[in-house]
Amino acid sequence: MRIFYLLKKELIEIFRQKEMLVIMFIAPILQTIILGYVVTTDVHNIPVEVINLSKNKAAYRIANRINRSDLFDVKKITNQPGDHLKTLKQGKAKSIIILRDSYDKKRKPLAYPEIQILMDGIDSNTSVIAAGYFNGVARQYILEDMRKKGFELPLESQTLIRFNPNLKSINYMGPGIVALLLTIISMFLTSITLVREKEQQTMDTLLISRLTPMEIYLGKSLPMALLGLIEMGIGILVVILVFGIPLRGSLLYLFLAAVIFLFAILSYALLISTLCSSQQQALFFSWFSMVTFLLLAGLFTPVENIPKGLHWVADINPLRYLIKIIREIFLKGNGIEYFYKDLLILGAITVTVLSLSLLNFKRLISK
Amino acid sequence: MQVEDIIRVNELSKKFGAFYAVNRISFNIHRGEILGFLGPNGAGKTTTIKMINGLLRITSGNVFVKGLNVKKQIKQIKAFTGYMSQKFSLYPLLTSLENIEFFGGISGLSRKEIKKFQQQIEDTIPIEILKQKIMDIPPGIKQQVALFTCLMPDPDIIFLDEPTSGVDPKNRRDFWMQIYKLKKAGKTILVTTHNLDEAEYADRIIIIHNGKIIRQGEPSSLLKNENMDSMEDLFKKAVTDDETN
Repeated sequence: MRIFYLLKKELIEIFRQKEMLVIMFIAPILQTIILGYVVTTDVHNIPVEVINLSKNKAAYRIANRINRSDLFDVKKITNQPGDHLKTLKQGKAKSIIILRDSYDKKRKPLAYPEIQILMDGIDSNTSVIAAGYFNGVARQYILEDMRKKGFELPLESQTLIRFNPNLKSINYMGPGIVALLLTIISMFLTSITLVREKEQQTMDTLLISRLTPMEIYLGKSLPMALLGLIEMGIGILVVILVFGIPLRGSLLYLFLAAVIFLFAILSYALLISTLCSSQQQALFFSWFSMVTFLLLAGLFTPVENIPKGLHWVADINPLRYLIKIIREIFLKGNGIEYFYKDLLILGAITVTVLSLSLLNFKRLISK
Repeated sequence: MQVEDIIRVNELSKKFGAFYAVNRISFNIHRGEILGFLGPNGAGKTTTIKMINGLLRITSGNVFVKGLNVKKQIKQIKAFTGYMSQKFSLYPLLTSLENIEFFGGISGLSRKEIKKFQQQIEDTIPIEILKQKIMDIPPGIKQQVALFTCLMPDPDIIFLDEPTSGVDPKNRRDFWMQIYKLKKAGKTILVTTHNLDEAEYADRIIIIHNGKIIRQGEPSSLLKNENMDSMEDLFKKAVTDDETN
């Protein structure tokens, strides 16, 4: 029963800070929408210059297809060669497509032009994707043209893409962003909660009361867990309603994974809170931890891309498992039989961090 | 009259790193008395009070409260002690009534008992002030509310750590009147202060300096024995004696 008063006090303190309420309930909606639009690996409107030095019809048609595509923003089509390096340096275009006549060994013109793609490689990811798009456009034209001319293709592969057939990156990023929001809000708000008690000198009063360390601990964590779940609910609604990402799996499993994750992240945040002596310190520590969690979570880049030496950090990163589970539930509609191992690892991380955090809290109160 | 020592402090020390904040002090507190713990900032007053109520681990020595060992039986001790820490330790975003509800609740009081306490404070402070957030009310009222919260649930022994700091002289006087009422009700009170003029309110005083007790006794006897006119003169002499020894 004593814990009820602590829970009530925590909730009153949160809801009396109007600026905080904006951060908690408006910011997640805006963040999800902004991140949903911005954090995308889709490449559109690539600024391009097309230099068509060929008199071949095929070259003309390929240049036309590039011009008509939404993927490219064609700045210029010309048949005059220029200083390509200068164009790239000036940033007028990120890629230059040069179409030239091609010949066989006997100098006899071939049916299709030679295509050279010059890319600005600073943004390596965009460059690779854009190069793939150009090749795709050219290849598609050539295949269609060959079919029209009655040529049978010796081998043709067909790709069937499941779970995200349109390869929309928002479908991949959206659920991850929900997990990210859950981490940001829970970690930042919780990490300052015990430090604030120390700063306003109310910690001693809590410790001298009949509250046990576990009750203080739960009294601090549960309101944040509740808020975290509300935040997640908002995030889920936004990704479904605004971005049209389908939720194919069980909402119950989603919240089950979130609850386990929340206790891991809240324990970690409370550990920070016991280690720091001011709110600024706690916020800085949380920010540093969050960036590390984020970079090693597989949100932006696959976990497999992480250098081997850092794999162990990724292995103990709870955000990694939540993101994986959320994506599986959202996009694949997977049931618990597919991710119970991840859930168990998440549970083990939670128990470990919670124990460490409680031990440190007990050490703090008996110094 | 037979005096009963409700708190016994033996050779108590607290070391932070190589620094002794409190160095082998011994004293007793009699049941029903007001003991003033005097000393400048950093003398070791708060450290001592925190060790007595179990908030700081004792480096060496012993403290017995009602015969219970602080090192081993702090849970039982909590049941009959109240503590008002420095700067009043109230939650600024909560109202006075909410603070009382919270402190009553975590002390294990029932809703009915909390309500009774709230009604008691409504008799002394206007309800419209009690419904304001702590951050918006004057220090004198905060002080009253803080004292009130530490009296839940009716402790026998009350520790007051610098309860009058930052409060104007009128409120300080009023506060001491409340402390006298508590003494009349049979409470034992340990109060720390760096305001030397408050020493005369206490039944006995202990002057602490650099973690050591340099004088203890009844204020009037101490003044008489040392042939001093004021507590300030006595304090200066005690400190000078300590530093020259």
